[in-house]
Amino acid sequence: MTKTWQKIFGLSFLLLFTNTACTSDTEESALNEPPPIVAEPPAAEPYVPAPEEAKPVQVTQKTRDTYQWYCSQCHGVEGKGDGMNALHLAVPPRNHTKADYLGTRTNQHLFDAIKLGGLAVGRAPCMPAWGNTLADEEITGLVNYIRELCQCEGA
Amino acid sequence: MILLRALVALAILWTTNAHADINLLKENKCDQCHRVSISDDEKNEAPDLFYAGEKFQESWLREFLTNPNNIRPNGYSGRNDFPKAIEPKAHPALNAKVADAVANVLLTLKLQPAGKSIEFGEPLTRGKKVRAKILFERNFSCSACHKGINLARKPHGGVSGPSLFNAGNRLQQQWIFDWLKSPEKYRKKGRMPRFQLDDETAIKLVKYIMTLKKENMK
Repeated sequence: MTKTWQKIFGLSFLLLFTNTACTSDTEESALNEPPPIVAEPPAAEPYVPAPEEAKPVQVTQKTRDTYQWYCSQCHGVEGKGDGMNALHLAVPPRNHTKADYLGTRTNQHLFDAIKLGGLAVGRAPCMPAWGNTLADEEITGLVNYIRELCQCEGA
Repeated sequence: MILLRALVALAILWTTNAHADINLLKENKCDQCHRVSISDDEKNEAPDLFYAGEKFQESWLREFLTNPNNIRPNGYSGRNDFPKAIEPKAHPALNAKVADAVANVLLTLKLQPAGKSIEFGEPLTRGKKVRAKILFERNFSCSACHKGINLARKPHGGVSGPSLFNAGNRLQQQWIFDWLKSPEKYRKKGRMPRFQLDDETAIKLVKYIMTLKKENMK
């Protein structure tokens, strides 16, 4: 009896794991990505760019260097999601130059994803938490840099 | 008095020996890429060796020096141009005699003072290993940058950090623990995120990493 339970327990762990690991060959992306679009949404209002006086936030060299030092390992030196680890991950790192997804996220969401890691915000667990490595101001700087890269604003 | 003199003599002998030891590493040009003493200028071409004696397992080190393999496929992450993934120079293979002498010196190099000694206990049982693997892959995202061993027992994981798929033969568990707890003791700034791990979690991660051995692969 106990053996059976042990087996069930072990198996459920295994299942949990295979469905959730960062680099196992799982359908993680399918779990975490928004559901595929099955029908075209009704035509939205035409996109009107924000007026110039929406004051683009200055991104400092220090922030760019921080991105190069840490983030580029996965997100690439130009932020295109093609860093050296990209091909080895089950969930591809976010392409920071694409607005289609990032435009749907708030700055707070990006901040939390960097500070607390992907798992904490319901995204891929490949993204570690940087909250013990980077100060809040540095993380805010990175959020602004991502906004510059995607040429998009927070939702 | 005699005792004191003997002590002084011993101390002198020890310092000169230590000096001679480092010289052997310099004669073999280790210091061209590696820091062999904590007082060396920061070098970014290859990992620091001034704590090699607490980091590496002896048998692995001796084997590596005669028959090196590539642990960092994109080179050492301390390099400033590292993210551009330039193919690194291969580590030279030393002849058996030189390798032996170099290993003897490297094994004496330790960072002082060492961290508190941890009782790691028995290796992980299978059930605990699965849970520790979840910590490694999921909670702390280690496999995004480090190669480990997946469920199919194949090497699997990112390549920006040093490969860990044979870490159980390569590293000393106390060193992994110390590194996880306070990497800044070893180097001002690495590319790995820091975690505020409690001892219990750190021990689980260390014990998991120690299960990663090439003989456990298919």
